[in-house]
Amino acid sequence: MSASSIFAFFAGNPAIIMMVGALMCIATPRHLASPILLIATALSAIKLSTLGLGEYGAITLFGEQIVTLRLDRLSRLFAIAFHIAAALNIIYAWGQKDRAQNFATLAYPAAALGGVLAGDMITLFVWWEIAAITSVFLVWAPGTRATYVSGMRYLAIQVLSGVLLLAGIVLIYRETGSLAFDFVGLRDDATGAIKLSALVMFLAFGIKCAFPLLHTWVQDAYPKSTISGTIILSVFTTKLAVYALARAFPGTSELIYIGAVMTIFPIFFALIENDLRKVLTYSINNQVGFMVVGIGIGTAGALNGAVGYAFSNIIFESLLFMAVGAAMFRTGTSKATELGGLYRTMPLTMTFCIIGALSISAFPFFAGFVTKGLIVDGAGGVNIWVWLTLLFASAGVLEHAGIKIPYFTFFGHDSGKRPKEAPIGMLVAMSIAAVLSIGIGVFPEPLYALLPNQEQIAGYNPYTAYHIIEQLQLLLWAVLAFAVLVLIKWYPPEIPSTNLDVDWLWRVPGRALLSWASGASRATWNALWGIFAGRIHALMARIYAMHGPEGQMARSWPVGYMALWTAVLLGFVLILSFLG
Amino acid sequence: MSDKNHTPDKKPGWADNPTFIRIFIGILTVSAIAAGLAGFNPAWKNPHPHFAVEGVPVFFAIYGFVAFAFIVLAGQHLRKLVGRKEEYYDERE
Repeated sequence: MSASSIFAFFAGNPAIIMMVGALMCIATPRHLASPILLIATALSAIKLSTLGLGEYGAITLFGEQIVTLRLDRLSRLFAIAFHIAAALNIIYAWGQKDRAQNFATLAYPAAALGGVLAGDMITLFVWWEIAAITSVFLVWAPGTRATYVSGMRYLAIQVLSGVLLLAGIVLIYRETGSLAFDFVGLRDDATGAIKLSALVMFLAFGIKCAFPLLHTWVQDAYPKSTISGTIILSVFTTKLAVYALARAFPGTSELIYIGAVMTIFPIFFALIENDLRKVLTYSINNQVGFMVVGIGIGTAGALNGAVGYAFSNIIFESLLFMAVGAAMFRTGTSKATELGGLYRTMPLTMTFCIIGALSISAFPFFAGFVTKGLIVDGAGGVNIWVWLTLLFASAGVLEHAGIKIPYFTFFGHDSGKRPKEAPIGMLVAMSIAAVLSIGIGVFPEPLYALLPNQEQIAGYNPYTAYHIIEQLQLLLWAVLAFAVLVLIKWYPPEIPSTNLDVDWLWRVPGRALLSWASGASRATWNALWGIFAGRIHALMARIYAMHGPEGQMARSWPVGYMALWTAVLLGFVLILSFLG
Repeated sequence: MSDKNHTPDKKPGWADNPTFIRIFIGILTVSAIAAGLAGFNPAWKNPHPHFAVEGVPVFFAIYGFVAFAFIVLAGQHLRKLVGRKEEYYDERE
């Protein structure tokens, strides 16, 4: 491989262009970091736009050909969304001086981008792990003990996902002899039994997708990051996993029920959570749940809905995180009990937040509406319980993300805080996200043109009378329920608290058990070592007694003994000679 | 990072004005009722419903109201099960 072909190989991959930009931040003056990051993102986007659909960057590794870059309709959609999210985050955190954060601000999106563009499982694995490692710098960024411990837990879970992915890759390669990253499917076509190889990979994706019971790393790590760090984290890992599921496990019926649970349980945790950034992390679980259901249904419409919803969600979920982040930047807190009444002095941030809230609630003419209907309609084809679950979850989205976030941040009880409006960088990023949220809602055609199944989407019109009426009935009457509950004072007040989730199992009793096991193993080791050392000591003492300077073997022997033994040996040899 | 120069101003803003609240709730109620009534127009029905309940003109309105109320009224009791003081993990890790 010549130098020019190596350069062409690296420069031909948008993810590597982004990664180079991230690395440059480490070595250049801090005030240049944000421009460098934005330029690198722009160059990466330009490269992406020049690539036609197809496979690039094929190399041979250990006799196997791997495709480091595959651009098809599915990967392109996520790649574009990741570029938008990366650019928004850089603008939001414009002027950020922390080198580690600046590096991670683009290195982590670059890794996620590399993952969605990977055409083979080895490339996917490499980017998967880089995403885990680079993202932990964002968790550690505040530099406190709590973030360090949380970051270690986060890293352990992410690496576990990587190890499972590698195991799955090995098992699948042994079965199929192929490293291509394509449809895997959970069950064997012939027997219908679950394949071990697929199950291992499914779990790897499930961890990063935050399946129920595997979800707590999101709530543990994300809200502890810095203001901009949390926003970046909220986008990439879970959406990379959504992409991976859409690629490898579309139509896997188990995903319908896993996703349905994901849409429901976070609603209740979000209701009682006081930290609004943590509320939004539960919202991530809920939103990804809708996507997982769509992937599980697996019809052309539901898949279009799932990945289209992922695209829109990346924008409006970021917008909500940005708005709460801006309030936190100005007030120093994201707790509902300490916020409220900020609409007076942060009207622009409030407006952007409400646009994000309307979008995530899927009000007509906002981004969520134009793709969520495809998933819910697909659920109608499964059974009534899944369909009712998604409708119920839609009311839940309205509760925690559509109402709770703007209400407790900007309205609700007056905290007495009168902070300045958000800084210009934050306002610019939020305004772009808000314009996109409305733009996708009003003119969904450009997004539809990017969806994987064009034949299906060509005949879809989200703005039918019945779709609008059904959605408005659901949402407006849910808002009315909120108004009634507030007026009759049945809406629960926010309470400062820590709400236990399943991670309590390993953070408290698990930790105690580990601590006990560590103490017990130490004591056992000490006891065994004591016995062993005692035996060795006794043996050494006996050897010393025998061979030491005053030992039996060290004494001098008289000459007579030597003469006697020589005579004995000579006699012995004589007898042998005689016999022979 | 935070702006500590908060003015202790407790004057009511526009969103706290009772007239604004009345107008807001009025518009919300009228809109909600209008959406409910629109469900009675046969021309605006889903031509390919999955389930019979979709034919009920105000099904989505009732479901939305009840689902929201249930989430809030039932969900708050989750606090009794999982709610702990804020320093819970700080004291244990």
